[in-house]
Amino acid sequence: MEKLGIPSVPMATKSFADLAKSNASKRGMPHIRACFTPHPVWGKTAEQLMAYVEGNDPVSGKPLMQEIIDGLTVPLIAEDTKTGMMDVNVGPPVYGPDTLDNLQIHFLNNGMTDFLPIIIPTPEKVDAMLKGSSHHPDEVVGKMAAGAFAAWTFTVRQVAVNAVMAGCEPEYFPILLAVASSGMAALGSSTSSFAYSMVINGPIRDKLNMNYTIGAMGPFAQPNATIGRAWTLIGKNLGNGGIPGDTYMGSQGNNTNYNNIVIAENEKDSLWTPYHVQKGFKPEDNVVSLFAGEDIRQGHGARGAGVLENPMFDDQISDMFRTLTSQFDALVICDPLTIKRLVEQGYDTKEKLTDWLWKNTMRTAKDYRDSAFVYTFHYPRALRGEEPYATWYKCPEGTLIPYWPKPDNIVLVCAGGQTNPFFQVGNLTYRVSVSIDKWM
Amino acid sequence: MNRRKLLSLLGMSPALLAGAQMEAQQPKAAKSGKVAAAENAQFEALNPKGSPPPVKLIPMAPRLDSVHGKTIYLVDTGFMSGGVLLQQMQIWFNKNYPDVTVVFRKKAGSYMEDDPPLWKEIKEKGNAAIMAIGH
Repeated sequence: MEKLGIPSVPMATKSFADLAKSNASKRGMPHIRACFTPHPVWGKTAEQLMAYVEGNDPVSGKPLMQEIIDGLTVPLIAEDTKTGMMDVNVGPPVYGPDTLDNLQIHFLNNGMTDFLPIIIPTPEKVDAMLKGSSHHPDEVVGKMAAGAFAAWTFTVRQVAVNAVMAGCEPEYFPILLAVASSGMAALGSSTSSFAYSMVINGPIRDKLNMNYTIGAMGPFAQPNATIGRAWTLIGKNLGNGGIPGDTYMGSQGNNTNYNNIVIAENEKDSLWTPYHVQKGFKPEDNVVSLFAGEDIRQGHGARGAGVLENPMFDDQISDMFRTLTSQFDALVICDPLTIKRLVEQGYDTKEKLTDWLWKNTMRTAKDYRDSAFVYTFHYPRALRGEEPYATWYKCPEGTLIPYWPKPDNIVLVCAGGQTNPFFQVGNLTYRVSVSIDKWM
Repeated sequence: MNRRKLLSLLGMSPALLAGAQMEAQQPKAAKSGKVAAAENAQFEALNPKGSPPPVKLIPMAPRLDSVHGKTIYLVDTGFMSGGVLLQQMQIWFNKNYPDVTVVFRKKAGSYMEDDPPLWKEIKEKGNAAIMAIGH
């Protein structure tokens, strides 16, 4: 609005005061006249919100409406009309020389870690990491941003620095370059505390000794652990994410952000097509597929036909789906034993099961429309006529509608060591698949 | 009888043995020269940060002489209850500044999406805007 010549006042709640000021500066308008109400607005009655309007801005202490009117009418000063470019300082290219202990403290105190000890990225270690790829150290890999902030660019060398810090070996490096090239950070800026996941397919899983059997998603193998950790550090350092109150606003945080949900698919023991082949790659290709969403949960608590004597996993997965939000899709991770049982039930392809799940997991239109996430993300799409949201908003309250627009919104992969026929369900949406081979 | 079993029979934790041993291992004198040298060795570390783009400063729009007789748009970006808050603000303007024309609009798309037709409308028909941009 200001760019169009319209004087404006942006308004947020006081919890976002630092974020609003910092974001305005990063976008070139450091003196924007933002005002703030008490927090929160969501869930307050009209009477309570009128009290906000008639009360004071809790940040400035001045009457809110007078501050807004002043923001629109008090003449500008020279600082407000400045033009030109402003550089952003991210520190020197090299720190030290200093002791390893002091460097560790420096990285920790300057927000460059995940608050766990790191491997100090000495030039020698970074050079060794760079040998894991044929790409030139100065090649630009891509851009990354936390949420709606300005994207930062980064090179192969800068990815390598973060890979060293996370404890990766050089042979893991092409996976990290593939992940970083997607531009997808593993730390969002939203007040929701998002989770992130990657599914790795192809021969590289065995070459790196990735774990896809017993404890596949647990802390039991160096590549699984450190590749996931590096993704968080990449988001933090290369995408400027993960600064609480500034580029990170997740109210409660998400424990999976430490090293994310890394899944090397158990292609060897699965009776279904590997995920990367479903996405159009060849079985011998090495591919990483990225997901974002809310969380992951165990399926043992699910209700379903014949839970004890004759387990029907289609029913049980469907039951778990009813605990998910529609804002994100479903990523179902099945142990090979679960897949064997599902194949016995007639689901010899992933598509047969996703079709059944899509058609048989329903809720009423009222339940759908009562969701805050749906209001924020789907209602605007419904308003502009986008299907199926427009229909889902128009139909009678009792109409049964599916959880997601298409069966493709349900993704099935295999991981696990066959100690029991279990499954886990992530409320996670597929974003992109990237060739790892391209970064070898 | 070994000491671990004896402690168990006496109702004491065998972990006491580990505690005693740990204590015995605490250094009593200064660290050896080799350890101290390793701890004092000097290293360089590469900066892990990416490269931010330079920020282009944007001049703010000229302000109004006053709000009297003007048209002010209240823009709801779609956060929960943001629209209700702005509707209270509209009531406040109607009561306290009856000569101000207040127009309430919900921005199209989710909160992260742009809405050029609305910006065009505000540019053509409005004098100022108040935007509810967060929770």
